[in-house]
Amino acid sequence: MIPISYNVRSLFVRKATTIATALGIGLVVFVLSSALMLGKGIRDTLVTAGSSARALVLRKGSDTEMASGLDPNVVSLAMAAPGVKRDADGQLLGSPEVVVVIAMDKLGGADGMVSNILVRGVPPQVMKVRPEVRIVDGRPARPGTDEVIIGRGVRGRFKGLELESSFELKKNRPVRVVGVFEAAGSSFESEVWADIETLRTSFGRGSSASSVTLVLESPSAYDGLAAYLENDKQLGLEPMREAVYYDKQSEGTSLFISWLGGIIAFFFSVGAMIGAMITMYGAVSQRSKEVGTLRALGFSRSEVLLSFLIESSVLALIGGVLGAVASMGMTAVDFSMMNFATWQEITFSFDASPGIIFGSIAAGGAMGILGGFFPAIRAARLSPIEAMRD
Amino acid sequence: MTMVAVRNLGRNKLRTLLTMCGVMVAIVTFVLLRTVLSAWTAAADFAAKDRVGTRHKVSFIMPLPKRYVQEVRDIPGVKSTAIANWFGGKDPKHETEFFATLAVEPKDFLDVYDEISVPEDQRESWFQNRTGAIVGDALAKKLGWKIGDRVTLIGTIFPGDWEFQISGIYTATRRSVDRSSFYFHYEYFNESPQATQAGMHDMVGWIVSRIDDPGRSADISKAIDVKFDERDVQTLSMSERAMNTSFIGMISAVLKAVDVVSLVILAIMVLILGNTVAMGVRERTHEYGVLRAIGFLPKHLVVFVLSEAVVVSTLGGVLGLLVSYPFVEKGVGLFLEENMGAFFPFFRIDPMTAVAALILAAALGLVAAALPAYTASQLKVVDALRRAG
Repeated sequence: MIPISYNVRSLFVRKATTIATALGIGLVVFVLSSALMLGKGIRDTLVTAGSSARALVLRKGSDTEMASGLDPNVVSLAMAAPGVKRDADGQLLGSPEVVVVIAMDKLGGADGMVSNILVRGVPPQVMKVRPEVRIVDGRPARPGTDEVIIGRGVRGRFKGLELESSFELKKNRPVRVVGVFEAAGSSFESEVWADIETLRTSFGRGSSASSVTLVLESPSAYDGLAAYLENDKQLGLEPMREAVYYDKQSEGTSLFISWLGGIIAFFFSVGAMIGAMITMYGAVSQRSKEVGTLRALGFSRSEVLLSFLIESSVLALIGGVLGAVASMGMTAVDFSMMNFATWQEITFSFDASPGIIFGSIAAGGAMGILGGFFPAIRAARLSPIEAMRD
Repeated sequence: MTMVAVRNLGRNKLRTLLTMCGVMVAIVTFVLLRTVLSAWTAAADFAAKDRVGTRHKVSFIMPLPKRYVQEVRDIPGVKSTAIANWFGGKDPKHETEFFATLAVEPKDFLDVYDEISVPEDQRESWFQNRTGAIVGDALAKKLGWKIGDRVTLIGTIFPGDWEFQISGIYTATRRSVDRSSFYFHYEYFNESPQATQAGMHDMVGWIVSRIDDPGRSADISKAIDVKFDERDVQTLSMSERAMNTSFIGMISAVLKAVDVVSLVILAIMVLILGNTVAMGVRERTHEYGVLRAIGFLPKHLVVFVLSEAVVVSTLGGVLGLLVSYPFVEKGVGLFLEENMGAFFPFFRIDPMTAVAALILAAALGLVAAALPAYTASQLKVVDALRRAG
């Protein structure tokens, strides 16, 4: 086999060409990896919110919490369903919540830009129902007051969403931000949580709720609970596993990003392959004498083919690693975009995973091999005598 | 001399062809991405200049009292008004298809939205039939609806099964409305028990006003909001264009990303081009030496290199555009208009994009060849002649 050092040295001899082609492939791998990371980030954010140990109950026929409305007696019936866990004090771990979307002024954007923020009215026991939520700055809000806590993802992005500031839910309904929470990177981090009664009175919701979140005794208790709730048609309820609800919500948005990312990745890959092809054809014609010599020395056609394939993949891998490493920098970037399902603005992040990084590098390598294939064949078919004569 | 440069392209046909393909792919991608951008922002660009939208100040999900309409109509500058209510209906046979369903007052609505074009007989039929609805041509095609069909929609916000009859199919004469919406009678909605139960009786989602002077949209918007400022339910009014712009702002991050990516593809193109030109220059070092020896000046060499590059890139650009039109408009465009018609009602290549693509292809050819051209011009004749190949 022709030593790989031959290929590596050749790459270094033609530094400029190597750098240009590697950069090109690097850029492609960077874009590919970033798009995959964003897709994962969206799914992570939206899907983490849902847990398979919890059930969400909405009004039948409503797709989202925003569109759903439950009467107070229906809420208590749902809370009393079989399979709902109780805490150490015997209290039912269920959280009726009121969901409202309000327009707030964005900071750092053009003047007058508003976007939609989801405000969730929560009962005192919400932290027990959602144990993944933790206060990271400030303190929890006191129940029954005008204090609110904001998710880490919206802090500083909107006017009034910072510790100790206040803003108005609507006219003459001010609230004060006393704490910032994180929620395992889920979409809850893009919300504002207020006391449920404060929200109800501000928006005239009486004692109704948008949804009820129930902690299950165990994930398998869901079936019994669902059967009980769905059996009574009069209730008009639609229970679902919280994980399933959020999965459906993320579908539209992540599908769109995947589609866009897929198209971009496809075209970019074709471009990178063409780049690699041009470079390798150039390499082959420039080094025809060397190839002739190698063949005269006794290396076979397939060894020459393999050698050039290795060269183009090494070239591609260099670029690929550069691009993948650069894309890791994107994890520090926050990406906020509208969730098509609920019209609220959610903050997403770029989530890396070993699979994505290595997959992207491998894709880069593949581009190199595919692009270098035909040039390698040409090298292999060079007749030694003619090649040396050139 | 350019002719000589052009003939040089035939020396290594494969390389020239590949380079042109590279440029072509880059240009098609560029055009596709810019079209995604412009199709989305088209909502703002093509928004009617003479319409003002008024909604609840606090949240777009909160309704306005219907009696506000009279008062809005009285504001100087307002020619006509219409109301609309977001209904949120789904077709049970196509549960995953999203389309806008709105309850409107037919006569006023068609008056304010005169770009919604409905044949006279279908119009009359809609006015007469309280359960009637008009739907966009793209939506009708996608869901297989024809005039006279009875359809049932599931209400996601106002629960239950709602029966309608398709009275007409509308087309859009301007790009300020989409072709995938479903409009039905406000009265039909208002009289329903679901509306009363949701506290929506005699309430409207928003009010649209047609104003006499587009230049005064900001003033009139302000006048409307001032009128209701002291009431319990306050309003937020802005021109349709401003409304669409702020809506687009919510996905601004995606738009920015698409913008950046479309420029990255151009950078990759420059790299490919530059690489090719540089390889060519390196190969012809000896020839350049000969040319200089017989009297050509460095600047002539620069012209040779540059013109060869620009010809390749421009040809690639032209090819790219030729492929773009059918691919983007007929292929991708058709797919998007039919399947995501609510978000991409019109997927057409903006003439500006096409022009920009061509100019960029040519200009970037120059940029890519700049460094190799300079290198060629700096060749010392003696060194160049010494090089064998």
